[in-house]
Amino acid sequence: MIVFLVRRLGFFAVSVLATSGLIFVLVRMIGGSPASVLLGEFSTPEDVYALEEQLGLHRPMIVQYLSWLGQLLRGDFGISFYSGIQLSTLLKSALPVSISLSIGALTVGLTIGIPFGIISALRSFQGKGSLIDFVSQVGIAIPIFWSGALLSLFFGVSLGWFPTGGWVPWSDAPVTTFRHLVLPSVTLGIGIGSVLARFIRTAIVEVMRQDYIRTGRAFGMSVQKSLFVVGLRNAALPVVTVLGNIVSHLVGGTVLTETLFSMPGLSRMILGAVVGRDIFVVQNLVMILILYVLIVNLLVDISYYLLDKRLRI
Amino acid sequence: MRKRNVPVSVWFGGSITLFFLLCSIFSLFWTPFDPNFVDTTKTSLGFGEAGHVLGTDIIGRDLLSGLLAGAKMSVFLGCVTATISVILGTIFAFIAVGISPWVDEVVMRFLDILMAVPGVIVALVIATVSGPSALSTVSVLSVFFAPVIARVVRSATIPLLNEDFVQSARMYGRGKAFVLFRHVLPNILSVLVVQFSLYSANAVLAESGLSYLGVGISRPQISWGTLLKEAQETVGPTTGLMLWPATVILVFVLGLNLLGDGLRDVMDPRSAGRKS
Repeated sequence: MIVFLVRRLGFFAVSVLATSGLIFVLVRMIGGSPASVLLGEFSTPEDVYALEEQLGLHRPMIVQYLSWLGQLLRGDFGISFYSGIQLSTLLKSALPVSISLSIGALTVGLTIGIPFGIISALRSFQGKGSLIDFVSQVGIAIPIFWSGALLSLFFGVSLGWFPTGGWVPWSDAPVTTFRHLVLPSVTLGIGIGSVLARFIRTAIVEVMRQDYIRTGRAFGMSVQKSLFVVGLRNAALPVVTVLGNIVSHLVGGTVLTETLFSMPGLSRMILGAVVGRDIFVVQNLVMILILYVLIVNLLVDISYYLLDKRLRI
Repeated sequence: MRKRNVPVSVWFGGSITLFFLLCSIFSLFWTPFDPNFVDTTKTSLGFGEAGHVLGTDIIGRDLLSGLLAGAKMSVFLGCVTATISVILGTIFAFIAVGISPWVDEVVMRFLDILMAVPGVIVALVIATVSGPSALSTVSVLSVFFAPVIARVVRSATIPLLNEDFVQSARMYGRGKAFVLFRHVLPNILSVLVVQFSLYSANAVLAESGLSYLGVGISRPQISWGTLLKEAQETVGPTTGLMLWPATVILVFVLGLNLLGDGLRDVMDPRSAGRKS
């Protein structure tokens, strides 16, 4: 256990270094001097030089990188170049939105994905294809802005059940917040549920081919019993590993969903910074998102280790 | 050769894909109107009015022409991105299995790290610093698709390395690289074709998302995502102007996915019903 944890944490540290290095280099290399990006097209070289000096861009690269990393580790995310507001203040209002949306979408995804995956696997075990396979294909192919638009049109505009955009903080009116969350979560959850259903189906079909299931069946265990008593528990393992990937997809999907439903989350912050070319804010926000995905992957691997007793031998 | 049942999904997905390919080639030579031509006398036309089959947008640009021109761009970007990703992925995989177990470990861990980075977000960053363009879209998407493909290629390659024909080529004195490209590559071609079709679909979907956010393709170049963005900005998400491009994306992506999955089932019957 200790060896595993040390190795895994070591890999986590290397990942953080590698991804932060990548982002740092990308931001420095591609657009020329960040100072000229910040000041825009019509800046004089003197202004650019002065700002570079102010931002400490004349120090050696490695010093700049390490000091950035140090700031991040201390939780100091810097100041927005334009509004002058501390990034951590902005994050405090944006993070609850994004996290609520992620949890909502995952909940919807799991509620759709698990039963559909099981039914689809059962059908394929009987040698039949099913409508669910096709539906999950469609679910994967649906662009978020399409399903989102249709859902808002139907449930938001025609029926008037849920608001089609905006956000109210949880502390103000939890019920209203929940209503704001429904359509975006379903929109994002459909895609996740479809991917999940297919993973679960694969995992179950794979497990049902194992010798221990065949033995059980030979001893007179019914298909249903072998699936629900033995199969599902073993099929859960590979599904846990894809959760990490799904969370990474979730981050990308959140950007689109938040834009579509005009929610003031992390993505709106990033897009705002991108449009305003507020380059250090972009750099820090991206790093926060990557850290989030890396931490989820770390937790997934640890829980996998705890779940799968074979790994502990 | 053993007779194989070609599943419906291959026919269905294949015809959809072929249809869009033909459309995009067709649009190279002719579109009903110039997709960027602004006709202020014919703004916001509906379905089939005044010779505009699908109507026009808020400043009178023909929607069908836009969709055809968009097909050209989306199909092109999808193919280029998928090609580059498959080539990159194969190279990564061959480096991993070809050199030494130690290199294998390092390369695969590196790819793991790359997979943790959300590609859409990085595309946003690149767009900030270099300005949105087709080139940046293609390169970012390829870099982030390659790791997943590399894993698939690697796991298809490893069993082949123990096959007799590979072993005998090695004993004959052929170098590792030669064996990989001459003997292994032709045998994993089917895997590559499947990945190509699945990742073209992913690329089309991702590109439309990026253009929709305003960091992908923009006028005078048109992709389906560009049309979506304009529709969203001008008339809102619930009109034909938005639904047509979105439906086209849905159908094309669905077609490519069905084709890819179906081909996988045909080429590797053992994995039928095994989706990843």
